[in-house]
Amino acid sequence: MLPRRCPASRSGVAHLRWFPVNARIYNWMSADSLIHVHELSKHFRTFKRREGVWGSIQNLFVRDYRTVAAVDRVGFTIERGEMVGYIGPNGAGKSTTIKMLTGILVPTSGEIRINGFVPYRQRRQYVKTIGVVFGQRTQLWWDIAVIESFKLLRRIYDVSQRDFDARMEHFDAILNIRDYLHTPVRKLSLGERMRCDLAAALLHNPPLLFLDEPTIGLDVVAKDHIRHFLRAINREFRTTVLLTTHDLDDIEELCRRIMIIDHGKVLYDGHLAQLKQQLLRTKQIKFVLKDRTQADCLDAFSRDGLEVDQVDELTYRIRFDRVKVSTSDLIRKILDAVEVRDLLIEDEPIEEIIKRIYAGEAHLEVSV
Amino acid sequence: MSSWVQALVPYAEFSRVGFVNILAFRLRYFTGIITYFLNVTVYYFIWSAVYRGGLSIAGYNLAQMITYVSVGWMIRSFYWNTIDQEMAYEVIEGKIAMDLIKPVSVQWMWISRAIGESAFRLGLLTLPTAVVVALVFPVQGPASRENFLLFLVAVLGSFFLMAAINFMIGTCAIPLKSILALIRAKYWLIELLSGLLIPMTFFPSGVQTALAWLPFEHIAYTPLQIYLGKLDRATALRALGIQWLWVIALLWLAHVWWERAARKITIHGG
Repeated sequence: MLPRRCPASRSGVAHLRWFPVNARIYNWMSADSLIHVHELSKHFRTFKRREGVWGSIQNLFVRDYRTVAAVDRVGFTIERGEMVGYIGPNGAGKSTTIKMLTGILVPTSGEIRINGFVPYRQRRQYVKTIGVVFGQRTQLWWDIAVIESFKLLRRIYDVSQRDFDARMEHFDAILNIRDYLHTPVRKLSLGERMRCDLAAALLHNPPLLFLDEPTIGLDVVAKDHIRHFLRAINREFRTTVLLTTHDLDDIEELCRRIMIIDHGKVLYDGHLAQLKQQLLRTKQIKFVLKDRTQADCLDAFSRDGLEVDQVDELTYRIRFDRVKVSTSDLIRKILDAVEVRDLLIEDEPIEEIIKRIYAGEAHLEVSV
Repeated sequence: MSSWVQALVPYAEFSRVGFVNILAFRLRYFTGIITYFLNVTVYYFIWSAVYRGGLSIAGYNLAQMITYVSVGWMIRSFYWNTIDQEMAYEVIEGKIAMDLIKPVSVQWMWISRAIGESAFRLGLLTLPTAVVVALVFPVQGPASRENFLLFLVAVLGSFFLMAAINFMIGTCAIPLKSILALIRAKYWLIELLSGLLIPMTFFPSGVQTALAWLPFEHIAYTPLQIYLGKLDRATALRALGIQWLWVIALLWLAHVWWERAARKITIHGG
C-alpha cells in the first residue's frame, strides 16, 4: 500500500493504488529509503566588519548584514545499506549539511526525513537511531578514562550489558581499543581517539552512521583500520554510511556512490565509476628510454600536438585525450619511434578530475 | 513508575561522570578548601572590626553575623557551579554539537552534571571545611532541628536556582559567542544580591522591597535566615514555598530560552 502522503491517495481515488506509480514519486516515498532530502537550504547571516579604527566604532552601532547560502536547495535520497561519499572543497557546505542531517542545525528551508523522523523537530528520538563521528571533535569526555564515557553511552542509549560486552569484543577485534580503555582521552593519540570515537558512535548499533572527515590527520595505518572497520559494519549490519572527506582514497575504498557539492549546490550525484567514465578525458603514457640519444625522436610527437614532458633524465610522459587519440595507436607509434625500456599507461588520477570539477572546468550531467 | 526510573538513568549517569570528572583535578579541589576557609577568615575579621562599635546592626549581633558569613560560604561551596563557563567554552569550541547528538535534554544533562559535582563538593569540600571553620571560629548551630531540615531543603533550592541561572547565562553564548563579561557581571550581582556578602536587611528599605520581588535573595539569604531561626515557622515555610516557585519558574524559563537559542545555533567549519 502507498504511504499516506502520496499524491495518488490524496486525490481520493482509492483504487489508484493498484496501478503502477510513477517511479520517481515512488522512489521519493519509498519506505526503504533511509534518507530523504528535498530542496534543503541553510542560510547564515554574517555581518561585514568594517576596517580601521573608525570602522570598528561604526561597527558598534551599525551593522551590515549579509546572507550566505551555505547549503542551497540540495536534494537526494539514500537507501538502506549504501555507503555514500559526500565531497567538496573547504566551505562547500558539507559539514553544514551533515549538521542538519544530524539534527544539530535547523534548516532555513526544505525537507529532511530520516528513519521516519524530522531530525531538528524530533531530535531526541531521532538521534537514538544514528551514530555520529566528527573527525575534529570527540564525544568522549576529555579528562576521564575512555571506559567511563562508554559506560555513560551504554546507559544513555539503554544498551544491555550483554550487547555492550559483545559489541566491545567485536570493536576491539578490528579497532584494537582494549589497551587504552583506561586512559583519559586527552592522553590518546589522534588515531587512538578516532578509533574510540567510532566505537562510541556505534555502541547502540544504529542503522545509520554519519562521519564528518573521519580520517583527517590520521596516519596510513590508522586510516586503514578505520576503513576496514567501516566496510565490516556495513557488510555485517547493513549500516548505512554517509561520510564527508578530503581523502579520495577513502572514497575509492569505501563508496560506490559519491555526491560532489560546491557553493552549497550538488554538482554530481552518482557512481564513482560513472564519474570517471564521464570525465576521464586525458590518459597518460609514461615510458623510460633506453638511452639519451633517443630523445630527439620525440619531437615528432610534440609536432602532432601531443603534450610531452620530461619527468627525469630518461623518463618521459605523454598526455593525450582518450577520445581523440587511440591508446593502442599511440603506443605503437612510440614503440616505432624510440627504443623503450619500460612503459606505463595511467588514467588521470581522481584528484585531478575532482579538481577540475571544483574549478568549474568539467561539466557534469547531474544524475539525481 | 519503572519507565520514570528508566528515563532518569541517563541523567544519573551524567551526575556520576560529573562526580568522576571533578576528581581529575586534584589541585582545584585542594585550593577550593583553602579558598573557602580564607573567605570565612577575611569576613570574620572584617565583621569583628565593624562590630567593635555596637552590639547589633540591622538586626544581627556579632555572633549571628559570624555564623551568617561562615554558613553562607559553606553552602555556597555546595550550590555553586560553573555551568555557564563550561557552556561558553563548548559553544566557542563547537563542542555543543556533541551534546545535541545525544538523546537527552541538554538542560537536564548540564544540571545533572552539576548535581554530580555538587555532590562531590558536599562530601569532600563543604563538610570538611565546615568542620575546620566550626573549630576555628565561633559558629552557632542551627536554631532547631526543624530549622535545620528546612534549611537543607532551602539549600537544595539554592542549587537549582543557581543551576537555572547559570544555564540561562550559558545559553547566551549561542547568540553572543563571548560571554566572559556577562559571566563576570553575574558573579558580582549574585554575590551581592543573594545576600552572601551582606544580609538583605543591610540594604536601604526601598531596595529591599524591590529585591524581594527577585529570585536572587533566595539563593543565600533565605536558607541562612532559616538556619539562624530569624523566621517563625509560617514565614519560613512561606519563604521556602516562594523559593521553590522560583526554582520551577526559572527552570522553565531556562528551558524556553534554550529551545529558542538552539534554533539559531551556527557552528562554522570542522
